[in-house]
Amino acid sequence: MKNKLSVMMFSWEYPPRVIGGISPHVYFLSKSLAEIGVKVHVVTCDFPGAPSHEVVDGVEVYRVDSYRNPAPDFATWVYLMNLNMQREAASIVNKLGGKIDVFHAHDWLVATAGIGLKHVFRKPLLVTMHSTEIGRRDGLHTDTEKMIHETEAWLTYEAWKVICCSDYMVSHVKWAFGLPEDKLVMIPNGVNTHVYESSETEKCDSFRSKFALLDEKIVLYVGRLVYEKGIHVLINAVPKVLEKVNAKFIIVGSGYMKEQLLNIVRSMKLEHKVLFLGFVDDETLLRLQKCADVSVVPSLFEPFGIVALEAMAAKSPVVVSDTGGLSEIVDHDATGFKAYPNNPDSLAWGIIKLLLDENYRKYMRENAYGKVQEKYNWQKIAQQTKQIYKAVLGEYSKSFWA
Amino acid sequence: MRAMIFSWEYPPRVVGQLADYINKLSTQLAKSKVETYVITYHDSLTGAVEEASEVKVFRVANPIRAHVGFLTWDLTLNQEVERAAASIYYQADEQVDLIDVHDWHFIPAAVTLKNALNIPFVYSVESLEDHRSPDSNKPYNISIKSIEWLGLYEAEKVSVKSEWMRDEIARIHSVPKDRVTVISPTADSWIKDVLELYRSVVGDGNK
Repeated sequence: MKNKLSVMMFSWEYPPRVIGGISPHVYFLSKSLAEIGVKVHVVTCDFPGAPSHEVVDGVEVYRVDSYRNPAPDFATWVYLMNLNMQREAASIVNKLGGKIDVFHAHDWLVATAGIGLKHVFRKPLLVTMHSTEIGRRDGLHTDTEKMIHETEAWLTYEAWKVICCSDYMVSHVKWAFGLPEDKLVMIPNGVNTHVYESSETEKCDSFRSKFALLDEKIVLYVGRLVYEKGIHVLINAVPKVLEKVNAKFIIVGSGYMKEQLLNIVRSMKLEHKVLFLGFVDDETLLRLQKCADVSVVPSLFEPFGIVALEAMAAKSPVVVSDTGGLSEIVDHDATGFKAYPNNPDSLAWGIIKLLLDENYRKYMRENAYGKVQEKYNWQKIAQQTKQIYKAVLGEYSKSFWA
Repeated sequence: MRAMIFSWEYPPRVVGQLADYINKLSTQLAKSKVETYVITYHDSLTGAVEEASEVKVFRVANPIRAHVGFLTWDLTLNQEVERAAASIYYQADEQVDLIDVHDWHFIPAAVTLKNALNIPFVYSVESLEDHRSPDSNKPYNISIKSIEWLGLYEAEKVSVKSEWMRDEIARIHSVPKDRVTVISPTADSWIKDVLELYRSVVGDGNK
């Protein structure tokens, strides 16, 4: 290619707008692609105080009017926002003389913008499916859910390649939308190990004393307090763990199940053993992850499982449920402990095993950290993504659109 | 001159008066040596056909069946309108002189095509949301009005069928009256007036 490979990414969130996992994903992916010589333009929603155009770590970031009039409902807002995103992105590409090689959309939230621009400029479209409506809702029950599902299907149909972050998601997406095998690509999600290295090292001992007694081990849960995350399974495992080892359970995050979970804890009379912290600042979260004796991810549905990866990067041993993306991130007995999903006894067994054996914990930590560095680092992920762009462009160059 | 007409109704799909008007307009344009393409919606008669009048008609359907409202149906259909328009544009060596959009439904597609490919558009206003749903300020109506406003803002020229409508657009959307051309469909000079309007847009140097 004579010129630098250039990509325009669409994402409804990008820092400082952070709603879920797509925002950090797009931030690190675009930055890492820029580092290996790809020209990246990110088009995203506006955010109070953030400029409408800036260069972040070598990436051109455009924040568009995200439609601030009242909209009838969330899904309709998404399509209205896409109208603005498409209009502004069209103008940006036009000003660049059409010099964008590929469009890359993240999830259905930017589907119509990506599809429209693909046809108008006749450039290939790639999509990363971070999750699916049918997976999130465990079925399609309402018109909204069906409409979102069909939008996802349409987006994957229009895409040249569909990227998923785990083998589990590849097979799930293939099943959900009836896609051919050769359209799907697995490129893992990444984790930034540097943040865990660089944070100043307040001794864990003094930090731990803010949350736990000296003789208590720390068991950490990070995630929304919702059914699909399986937090209730962990709460039910608490008394089983306490029979064998003294520990404090620290729960970070919030969600609709909070009251229900508090009631279970109260009824077990274990309020002094389970600490609900709600949301915490990044620095506190980082330290908790570094100082925890074990991190637990008991999800029932998990497309990828970034929390487990973050814990492994923070050198905290992990106990996860053997489901979805978690099954691939963790190798049982080597980089973590895999428990049966939705099974408090199995979860407790894993937690106890790790908490009672310091050497086993150390062994897990080191293996896990090695795997994170080898498989889930952003440089490697950017290289894989660039290869996919090149492969798509190779096929595209032989098509009548080229 | 090569023109594309966007309308959400066209025979055999007749919802209101617009279908017959677009049929008459496209036929007369073709007779006046304008290469005329109509892009419209139909659920089953999809694809491209050429009418006896030499008007080329592209019908697109919505790829999504389940919808929560008319607005989501419309906003998703616009990508198919863009796909059809882009097919015409690239097959015509990237030479399309203008788009004439009738009513708000396909304004999103026209706006994208203008910003992406520099194809200017005329917004032909048939009716306004304030008249269809008087005194309604629910988010649904506000959303449609915001699309009307976007069309009026981005259009090269606005065309209406009566003085009354020109006044209403000025009143509701604060559009200066000199941006709005009144072309009466019953006047003898009707098709000449339409062509004059088109030429003024094409000749504006916005290509």
